[in-house]
Amino acid sequence: MIKVGIIGCGKVADQHATQIQRIRGAEIVAVCDSEPLMALQMHERVKAKKYFTNVKEMLEGGGVEVVHITTPPQSHFQLGKMCLQAGCHVYIEKPFTLNTVEAEELVSIATQKGLKLTAGHNAQYTHAMVRMRELVRKGYLGGKPVHMESIYCYDLGDMSYAKAFLGDSGHWVRKLPGSLLQNIISHGISKIAEFIRSDKPLVIAHGFTSQFLKNIGQGDIVDEVRVIIKDEDSTTAYFTFSSQIRPTLHQLRLYGPNNSLIVDDDHQIVITVKDREYKSFARYFLPPLDYARQYLGNWSQNVNKFLHNDFHLPFDAGMKALIEGFYSSVTNNEPLPLSYREIIVTARIMDDIFAQIKNQQTPTRSVAPEYV
Amino acid sequence: MNFYKIANEAWAEFILNQNEIVLVTGANGFIGSRVVRTLLLYGFKRVRCLTRATSNSRSLEFIASEFNTVSLEIIKGNLLSSDTCKMAAEGVSVVFHLAAGIDKSFPGCVLNSAVTTRNLLDALIEMKALKRFVNIGSLAVYSNAKIRRGGLLDESCEVDRELAERHDPYAYGKAKQDEVVLEYARTRSLPYVIVRPGLTIGPGKAKIPGRVGIDTFGVFLHLGLGNRMPFTYVDNCAEAIVLAGLRKGIEGEVINIVDDDLPRSSTFLRRYKKQVRRFASVPIPYRLFYLFNYLWAMYSEWSEGQLPPVFNPRTCAAYFKGNTYSNEKAKRLLGWHPRVKMTEGLDRFYAYAREVVNRK
Repeated sequence: MIKVGIIGCGKVADQHATQIQRIRGAEIVAVCDSEPLMALQMHERVKAKKYFTNVKEMLEGGGVEVVHITTPPQSHFQLGKMCLQAGCHVYIEKPFTLNTVEAEELVSIATQKGLKLTAGHNAQYTHAMVRMRELVRKGYLGGKPVHMESIYCYDLGDMSYAKAFLGDSGHWVRKLPGSLLQNIISHGISKIAEFIRSDKPLVIAHGFTSQFLKNIGQGDIVDEVRVIIKDEDSTTAYFTFSSQIRPTLHQLRLYGPNNSLIVDDDHQIVITVKDREYKSFARYFLPPLDYARQYLGNWSQNVNKFLHNDFHLPFDAGMKALIEGFYSSVTNNEPLPLSYREIIVTARIMDDIFAQIKNQQTPTRSVAPEYV
Repeated sequence: MNFYKIANEAWAEFILNQNEIVLVTGANGFIGSRVVRTLLLYGFKRVRCLTRATSNSRSLEFIASEFNTVSLEIIKGNLLSSDTCKMAAEGVSVVFHLAAGIDKSFPGCVLNSAVTTRNLLDALIEMKALKRFVNIGSLAVYSNAKIRRGGLLDESCEVDRELAERHDPYAYGKAKQDEVVLEYARTRSLPYVIVRPGLTIGPGKAKIPGRVGIDTFGVFLHLGLGNRMPFTYVDNCAEAIVLAGLRKGIEGEVINIVDDDLPRSSTFLRRYKKQVRRFASVPIPYRLFYLFNYLWAMYSEWSEGQLPPVFNPRTCAAYFKGNTYSNEKAKRLLGWHPRVKMTEGLDRFYAYAREVVNRK
């Protein structure tokens, strides 16, 4: 039985707890939050054996083997270090750390101590992404991708989270080096990082503020980003982050030397795009039938999974698969579900994006005073 | 604008005078803004309003212009910040605490209901000027498990101790907020009154209350049927809240607020269709809906939450079992009587809902 502790008892911690409770052989034995009321409510609901308001005390007296860190990112590095030094394996929510230097140090400590570490890139393990990875592993693309397109959209208008941080100039999201972007884009970037071989890919980024945010007086937040990434060989990628595109797409397109793939994470659809020539007008009549067959196949797979109780919401399903893979790596010494290289390359690409956007930004007027 | 006529001798029954500072949190909300207006109608000269930094203060500015007064002090901030709490608490005699967490998650509701309340109480106790803390709770925290259908749900009923099982973050957060207040009363001698309003109706809120029915599945399911609706018209509710902050000798009381002549759900819906808009609705008997909730919850558990347990027997019983309600305690302790009759209150609600529908 893996004994799990959770540090940080906010909304994301609830998602973690729900998925951990679905995993056989795992038990939440302790929860910890510096705010006693938050620690207590989680302790009460997830029925953990103990609750703490001090991390050191939890690490010493909680009897935990694996710790999930679900606090705001500013504390990830210090808490991760404490947990590793206490001999615990660590799952850190995204964004993994504030920058690459911190990410590298955590990986280094974990490696030295023979402990396991992972990042909360659960979008990598949705049903559709797992299917995509299986096709790639079987060689469907015909080699390393020639080009990739990762698009990750975010709706600022509806989500209570966005409202919370938009209205609060002191919100932790706004204090991140990459502000809003840093808290969200790792999902879309890690999809590209998985296929990058170079430790330092070339990154060209452009960021700006949407008219929507300007209109509501939030001109200091960048919510539109376009990025070109180039690997050491000829592989390239485009990354798009937008708060304004509708519908709010979450897609990955992989263009290979033989065939290509489209992953639609919003609808859990994987479409193969075959390099096949048809005679004359047949190219207009036969491929649509093939696409229709593929969409029907995706529908059938999704329904089948639902009927077998294996179709939880994509990010929940992804989190469960990632946690299961991580625990399996801890107990059976199997490879980690996310390589350290992928985690570090993701951090490095993000650092480059934030640095370039920062240089592009012109001073904007300050936000409204808190008190009137 | 008509100031409420408060006889001089009536002020002797109150714990403070009109010149003392009163604080209203959540002051530009649906009920909060009416509480502010009622305080001004009572003649209070120093009403401090706390609103979220993000929210617009139009309703308060409108009230300020209506009274042509400088009695309103508006503070924008967040009760998670100790600076905001200190600023809001300074010199305050009575607090009407209406700010609450409305979130889909349990942590979000606990954070914005219980933690914020604790922060505010810490600041108030440090200031040492507090005469009363009026904590606005919710009828949703009660358990009706031991009450038969149609039985009376009043202040003597027990609070549901297993609200997490209801999958109702709002009620859970409000119960935790009440617990914080009770803890401070026990350990720090906090003078408090807990007010639990029913379903507040009036201009400003156009939606059909969930206790009447839901349209989750694309068609309106009428679930309330013959149940009495625990309505309180917003201005009546606001006055009861204000009186809970003023009356002498009611420390430590819990008071439910509902109006007189509570309508049945079927009557409410029939009049809504007549006065606002016509639409099809399907009446669902309680036992059938309870069975649906039971099966849904079973499936949710069996499938490890593939469908979340938003429908479950506990919630179904809490909202649709059908109870009767009393305002006897509110009338007795507060000397309160709903000024707006139920028929008039409903007409105003329908008129507003019609306006919203036409605007769309």
